[in-house]
Amino acid sequence: MSEPELDIQNLKISFSTPRGKLTAVNGISFQLNQGEALALVGESGCGKTVSALSILRLLPEPPAEISSGKILFSGQNLLSLNAKTLQDLRGRSIAMVFQDPMTSLNPVLTIGEQMAETLLRHTTMTRQEALQKSADLLSRVDLPSPKEKLKQYPHQLSGGMRQRVMIAMALTCSPRILIADEPTTALDVLIQAQILELLESLKKETGMSMLIITHDLGVVAEIAQRVLIMYAGEIVESGPAHALLDNPLHPYTRGLIASVPKLGALKKKGARLEEIPGTVPSLDQRPSGCAFHPRCAWAIEKCKTQKPQLREAEGERQWSCHLEPGSL
Amino acid sequence: MELSPGAGLAMNTKKGIPLLEVQGLKKHFFPQMKFLEEQAPPVRAVDGISFTLQAGETLGLVGESGCGKSTAARTLLRLIEPTSGQVNFCGTNLFDLKETALRSLRREMQIIFQDPYSSVNPARRIGHILQEPFEIHGCRDKKENAEKATQLLERVGLTSGHFNRYPHELSGGQLQRVGIARAIALNPKLVVADEPVSALDVSIQAQIINLLLDLKEKLDISYLFISHDMGVVEYFCDRVAVMYLGKIVEIAHSEQIYNSPMHPYTTALLNAIPSFEPGRIKQKTSIRGDIPDPAILQRGCAFHSRCPIKEKKCEDDIPALEEITPGHHVACFFK
Repeated sequence: MSEPELDIQNLKISFSTPRGKLTAVNGISFQLNQGEALALVGESGCGKTVSALSILRLLPEPPAEISSGKILFSGQNLLSLNAKTLQDLRGRSIAMVFQDPMTSLNPVLTIGEQMAETLLRHTTMTRQEALQKSADLLSRVDLPSPKEKLKQYPHQLSGGMRQRVMIAMALTCSPRILIADEPTTALDVLIQAQILELLESLKKETGMSMLIITHDLGVVAEIAQRVLIMYAGEIVESGPAHALLDNPLHPYTRGLIASVPKLGALKKKGARLEEIPGTVPSLDQRPSGCAFHPRCAWAIEKCKTQKPQLREAEGERQWSCHLEPGSL
Repeated sequence: MELSPGAGLAMNTKKGIPLLEVQGLKKHFFPQMKFLEEQAPPVRAVDGISFTLQAGETLGLVGESGCGKSTAARTLLRLIEPTSGQVNFCGTNLFDLKETALRSLRREMQIIFQDPYSSVNPARRIGHILQEPFEIHGCRDKKENAEKATQLLERVGLTSGHFNRYPHELSGGQLQRVGIARAIALNPKLVVADEPVSALDVSIQAQIINLLLDLKEKLDISYLFISHDMGVVEYFCDRVAVMYLGKIVEIAHSEQIYNSPMHPYTTALLNAIPSFEPGRIKQKTSIRGDIPDPAILQRGCAFHSRCPIKEKKCEDDIPALEEITPGHHVACFFK
């Protein structure tokens, strides 16, 4: 196996707030392999977006603080780079697509100006060449009449079109890693299906690696090869997507899967969905022991006091739970 | 003490009259006129929809954003005034009612909004928010109202400890429970739920859906359930209406919609849902492009610009909503 594209080791991120220092990401480690689509899954506040933003050092520091860990990208630790080197990296080697295409484009610049900006920063292209390349990219993401789109402003495009522009912008310098933060959450299902197909085919074409952040297990099944499940700032389970969705090991993963109504699994009238009781703990009230124990139906005495360590299971899987495998 | 029965309660006893009957409901929005310019064509947000909702039934209204489903809900509750059409609630046409009569009928029909944070007053305590319905509908006894508000909190799975909290102190799921408590405060017959779970986390969505199902059984509520999530709708609804560009293109029982959809748009919606069932067969989406701008009047079938099976006829003629098999209505030439 070749070296991983991105190697994150024991990453810890905290925020200074009036309530004190809050830990958002509590020592996570994972690798993103070459040409792989890896999904980072969890509910709001579990630390998935913060982890992703930290890779490109996009978190405002302070209040954020990366208190420990390493982010290795082609042998260099991104956490020890200076601002200039980071800028050379952003958009060129690692690019990002944000959740909300309405707010992540500049409303007062045309699409063309925004797209050319990346190329002018990272390459020696002239303005004219950059615009030509931008038009090519727009047609590659299936946007009709790209030449006209370059002259338009973001508000003239629909949500789906704007997300295509965002993806085209991320692709301008053929990055090796694409980080997509909830790329389809703001979109309708028909548009979501189109965008997922687009990402899939772009990945095949370019061989880039993708880190997809999502809360939607359907999206995971659709596009990811491997999954990391996060809860309260920690990875609680990881493994190949289909194995993990078919046979979850951690009670939280099992609960997440069960609480989504499945199409076609026609309900018995009056049947209830399985639910996970309670809510995600806030950062300043992290439960002792296993952070999930107050919501876990299988919790035993040990879970309240001892934090479970990440264990290895068959088939390149990992999970952190005191229960023996197969007891769910 | 119960509240004195409103006008709606008496009418409800009539047998055979649907709880809600919507006929040719239209809501067009006219853009503001500019000086010396002709009136621009209206945005046809809701363009002549008709359906009925029987007591005890749950009807799902699905479609993409911009298809007019929320506008339809607001118009049929007369939260915004309709352009034309008729809505009979227990046999009474809502659009004929004067303000006071409408207000007393409002206790029978309530709404739950999508975003729990923006649907409550952030400066009021939860207890106060829940007492307001009783105050508006004529119960001035403070102590009694507070008691009822506490009961409501417990009914929706919160505790009396939440009574003196402010909205910002609650999580999204908890606050949506407050929104639900407020809607059921006056024992309504009809609750319109406008995307009640789409702003919530997955694990919380299941909690709220279960709560809505419990309340339906205990309080005999009928729901008009608006959603873009076909999975949730299948789970929750007895019948489903699919909307596209202000029109209903297919309406049928859940089993019919999910097992044998007839309109190409419904089929596309069902195929587009990412699923993680083992052994599933994924079909590529056949639908390209976005929903057209509702301000531009289209000829022919509203869906023809994206339809994979369209023919010349679809560009010129508008297909009518027809009953194909019992209870299954479709507006398409190729059913």
